[in-house]
Amino acid sequence: MSEIKGKVLKHDSQTRIMHWIHLISFLLLGLTGIAFYWDIGIIYKIFGGPANASLVHRWTAVVFTAGPAIYILLNFERFSKFIDTISSFTKDDFNWLKTMGGYVPFLKGDIPPQDKYNAGQKMLGWLVILGCILFILTGFPMWIWRHEVPAVFLNICYTIHFWDAIIMILAVAGHFFLAAIHPKSRVEFSSMMIDGYVDAEFSAHHNEKWFNKLQQSQ
Amino acid sequence: MSTLQTRGVIHVTDNCKACDHCTFICPTGAISGRLGQKHHIDQDICVNCGQCLINCPFGAIEDTSMVAKVKEALADPEKFVVVQEAPAIRVALGEEFGLAPGTNVKNKMYAALRQLGFDKVYDTEFAADLTIMEEGTELIHRVYNALGAEGFEHAGPLPQFTSCCPAWVKYAEDKYPHVLPHISSAKSPQQMFGAVAKTYAAEQLNIDPANMVVVSVMPCTAKKYECNRPEFVASGYKDVDLVLTTRELAQLIKEKNIDFLNLPDEKADKFIGLSTGAATIFGATGGVMEAALRTAYEILSEETLDKVEFEAVRGIEPVREATVEIPVKALGKKLPVNVCVVSGLKYVDDVIEDVLAGRSKYHFIEVMNCPGGCINGGGQPIRRDTY
Repeated sequence: MSEIKGKVLKHDSQTRIMHWIHLISFLLLGLTGIAFYWDIGIIYKIFGGPANASLVHRWTAVVFTAGPAIYILLNFERFSKFIDTISSFTKDDFNWLKTMGGYVPFLKGDIPPQDKYNAGQKMLGWLVILGCILFILTGFPMWIWRHEVPAVFLNICYTIHFWDAIIMILAVAGHFFLAAIHPKSRVEFSSMMIDGYVDAEFSAHHNEKWFNKLQQSQ
Repeated sequence: MSTLQTRGVIHVTDNCKACDHCTFICPTGAISGRLGQKHHIDQDICVNCGQCLINCPFGAIEDTSMVAKVKEALADPEKFVVVQEAPAIRVALGEEFGLAPGTNVKNKMYAALRQLGFDKVYDTEFAADLTIMEEGTELIHRVYNALGAEGFEHAGPLPQFTSCCPAWVKYAEDKYPHVLPHISSAKSPQQMFGAVAKTYAAEQLNIDPANMVVVSVMPCTAKKYECNRPEFVASGYKDVDLVLTTRELAQLIKEKNIDFLNLPDEKADKFIGLSTGAATIFGATGGVMEAALRTAYEILSEETLDKVEFEAVRGIEPVREATVEIPVKALGKKLPVNVCVVSGLKYVDDVIEDVLAGRSKYHFIEVMNCPGGCINGGGQPIRRDTY
């Protein structure tokens, strides 16, 4: 367990870089995507017109796809571990969901101990993975094979791409609120966005199972 | 939808999602716009075929509607409104009412048109026969001219192109004006019907052509453009006043709450006489060619065909060719007639270049803009669930 002044390392530098790349590209994709769907001229102007906005959207999508892909190739073991963690849904996770980890005021009850990621984060992890796969499966045909594919297929791609984007934007907005604004959990913000470290005391409380494992391994 | 336009009948609406699918569909490159940028149709080179319209994933392309003017004419007691329907309508209209593609609903269609208020319900098939007799005879004259026969010096050059498809005719006018002498001078069946309706039929029915309104139901959006061409005024009035697509006819039937599927079977009014099966196959690629060959064969050989089908010109390949041996009684020998069928303007350029360069081996060339022929025209029902 890496420890600096009562802190533990939660996210290493490559993970943080990948997260930054994904975040910035997601914001660009979301902004341009909203402009396309609702035909918002002000956003087009930022990019120099709709055609250029489309160009930015498409090449940002390449970064959005390549960033995690390269990260997975370089950190396959870590990624496998991440998948293992978010795939293991125990009784504690279900009980965490019953009280929503104490984040919802009217849901009272004991909050069970959690892994490196709590039940909500696990669900978000899967949502992001599946959402990104859907973006890729629908987005690239809309760009590369737009002339060859049947009209109905293109229509389905646009529809799925749109609803995928709506769900992902809402999910990321919730993720941002809990990770950066909510007083109970905003201390985690710096661990992913800055130095990778999180307060040991916070981890012992919020990610008790993981923290205990770290201590045992040490 | 916009009102009547004479310059072009297909337009991209504000609902364009800029997906860029249509630029590949357009046979003439008339649609411009980068991916992400709302697209635009250059009316100078658009042939009004409507293929972009039926292939737009978002239904963001529309054709000029003449529906309001048709309703106006039907409501006007002073007007005598006659209607014709192309062969490709009868096997597509049923789709709008839940029937399987290809179901022949012509008898219910006639009944529906009467319920809509048309004074006479005719069929374009008779005019298609006229077209083919004209085109077939013209081909024979061109052959005689090429053989140096006396009296045919004014016939045009070979090969002869068909002239039924208004999208093809406009394409030739726009891009290959030098090929125009090769295109048959025969009007399309739609325009022949209109001309005969307002001259011969108006006289027979004792109707002033000024009070006659000729409405066409066509599988084709380019027919809306064709009917507005200034040269089609045989009676002094427009040959064909208004054109409805198959989709628009279905819309009218639905608006009037006509129970289409339970209509009685009715027959079309007799225009002048019977029509042939050759007229019916006009709607499919190779159909005009086959019909013309039947006519040319019988005239040149002075024999009745035992088997009327020329299957060599059928198929779905975009460019097909065949050689048909036609016995010419006047010459006492068989003449090999090389024919070519082009389905889709994207494939016609090489054929035209060969003709203009004098190296074409063909005598007769059918060109239809829409893949598969009029049956797949831009005015047909749009089935987004099946392709």
